[in-house]
Amino acid sequence: MSPVSIRRLASALACAGLILPAAALAQTPAAPAAAPAAPPPWKQGMTPEQGTSALHPFAPQMTGRPASELPLDKLKVPAGFKVEVWADGIPEARSLALGDKGTVFVSNRLAKNVYAVVEKNGKREVKVVLKGLNAPNGIAFSKGTLYVAERGRISSYAGIEDSLDNPPEGKVIIDGLDPTNQPGHFWKFLAMGPDGKLYFNIGSPQNITMPTYMQAAIMRVDPKTGTLENYAQGVRNTVGFDWNPKTHQLWFTEHGRDWLGDDMPSDELNVATKQGQNFGFPYCHQGDTLDPEYGKFRSCKEFTPPVLKLGAHIAPLGMRFYTGKMFPAEYRNNIFLARHGSWNRNTKQGYDIYRVAFDDKGKVTKAEPFLSGFLIDEKADPPMWGRPVDVLVMKDGSMLFSDDYNGIVYRISYKK
Amino acid sequence: MKAHPARGRAAVAAAFAAALPLLFFVACASGADAEAGRKKAELCAACHGPGGNSVNPLVPSLAGQPAQFISIQLYQFREGNRKDPQMTPLTANMSNADMNDLAAYFTTQKAAPPSHKTDPASAAAAPALAQQNNCVQCHGPKLLGQQHIPRIAGQQYDYVKTQLRGFKASTRSDLDGNMTSAAQALSDKDIEVLADYVAGLTP
Repeated sequence: MSPVSIRRLASALACAGLILPAAALAQTPAAPAAAPAAPPPWKQGMTPEQGTSALHPFAPQMTGRPASELPLDKLKVPAGFKVEVWADGIPEARSLALGDKGTVFVSNRLAKNVYAVVEKNGKREVKVVLKGLNAPNGIAFSKGTLYVAERGRISSYAGIEDSLDNPPEGKVIIDGLDPTNQPGHFWKFLAMGPDGKLYFNIGSPQNITMPTYMQAAIMRVDPKTGTLENYAQGVRNTVGFDWNPKTHQLWFTEHGRDWLGDDMPSDELNVATKQGQNFGFPYCHQGDTLDPEYGKFRSCKEFTPPVLKLGAHIAPLGMRFYTGKMFPAEYRNNIFLARHGSWNRNTKQGYDIYRVAFDDKGKVTKAEPFLSGFLIDEKADPPMWGRPVDVLVMKDGSMLFSDDYNGIVYRISYKK
Repeated sequence: MKAHPARGRAAVAAAFAAALPLLFFVACASGADAEAGRKKAELCAACHGPGGNSVNPLVPSLAGQPAQFISIQLYQFREGNRKDPQMTPLTANMSNADMNDLAAYFTTQKAAPPSHKTDPASAAAAPALAQQNNCVQCHGPKLLGQQHIPRIAGQQYDYVKTQLRGFKASTRSDLDGNMTSAAQALSDKDIEVLADYVAGLTP
């Protein structure tokens, strides 16, 4: 073991076992006058007993890691499927969007760029198309226009595929979506609905808190008029959704709250059958469990329950219905979703691409990991070597997915 | 790639991004390399000290810092998110592989004991302040850092003060907003006490 990992281990052990002696705190002279600082949003909602927990979120490797450095042989897919690196060198690769002419756009959450991956003379090329944006996590492409959701505004870039080296200036559709500019859940997912409106999330500003009317919600905006509506409420944070190709209903993933223990509550897969439904946050979690604080005097029956529990703290992000023709027939219209992986859990889980099949009535018939192998040691810190973020069905029926930890986009294909 | 005068920087960056896979292949076929990093770090020693143990109060020590913290900071300088008269030009032409190698080198260097002597009043007041303001929550109980979060134990006094003031003024780059948020509650006196305290801790 290297000196560094010994020190890390020592640090982790100290972290797990060390509690500041109360006497030392009590004897402290000159107590600071200011009120205690608010904890970071991800620490908010801990019990006093959890105060020394060593659990913490993981940050991406912003400088990425090249394909040659990764244990790609660990990735497992069902027989007949193949997974390979499709593009590397895309710092913190997050959301994916497919242009009409085949350009794959890739966003990031903590940086400022939007990337385009194009194939030219049989060679794949990664280029920066938009620079200087503020957390441009949300990207959607529709009818020749790229839409980008930054933390506080949504803009359109018409005809961008024709001028990737000299992209148009963004046209702002709506601004002022992040008036508080606080660190919690500021990133947005963006998708074009079948009604021609842009759907996006505004997450809860903290782990567990009473949201305002414009928080913990799915919003939609008409790109032609800028008219903004609240579409669904009680959604702590969704960073992935798509419309069922048959019913045109909105299916979305949702992250549950932290610090209720390793197995509570489960993250969710939900369906919004109409506008105005409430999915429970902060009162009711996973459709059946009242919050210890906010759930008092409430009932879970007031809220729309999830279609499927996806696992506690498993962090489901991007999801798409598989509408391609390359995969076997049984995969048609299945949901593929990226489980970014847990941090708020002593034994880690997730870090995979998950498959959900359901019947014509929307009843789930199968839910299982489809691609796994990123999780190497469920007790280690960090436990994984990669983290899936978004999935994208390509025109040839293959499927791409992004990995923000390494800055890589992978491709999954099928051959009989 | 077509260069456009008004988009010179974007074009350069685009060209750079396009070249990344190639650079990776050439420089990093065997992964992040501490030995390659040692050679690339020769220039760094002029300010950051031998092995990354700074003796300049304004310049941070890099020895034994978490690798991910170092690579992210280099990235932030190159991308213009964090600005510094020395570091901005020095990182302008660094590849991601260069940054990973430098990180691999500095993280394996042993941190030297601090030369700073903490005032007893700060030593008494700071542990409660560090607890109240959530320093230990992320930097760890001994403030040794982890993954993308730096070791601040034994870090240079003036440097720590400058960074905390920068976070409070929202002028210091911040990957996820946590430090900007944490620094808002700190008074000028708190910043001095905390910097005085952490600078004297043995890493």
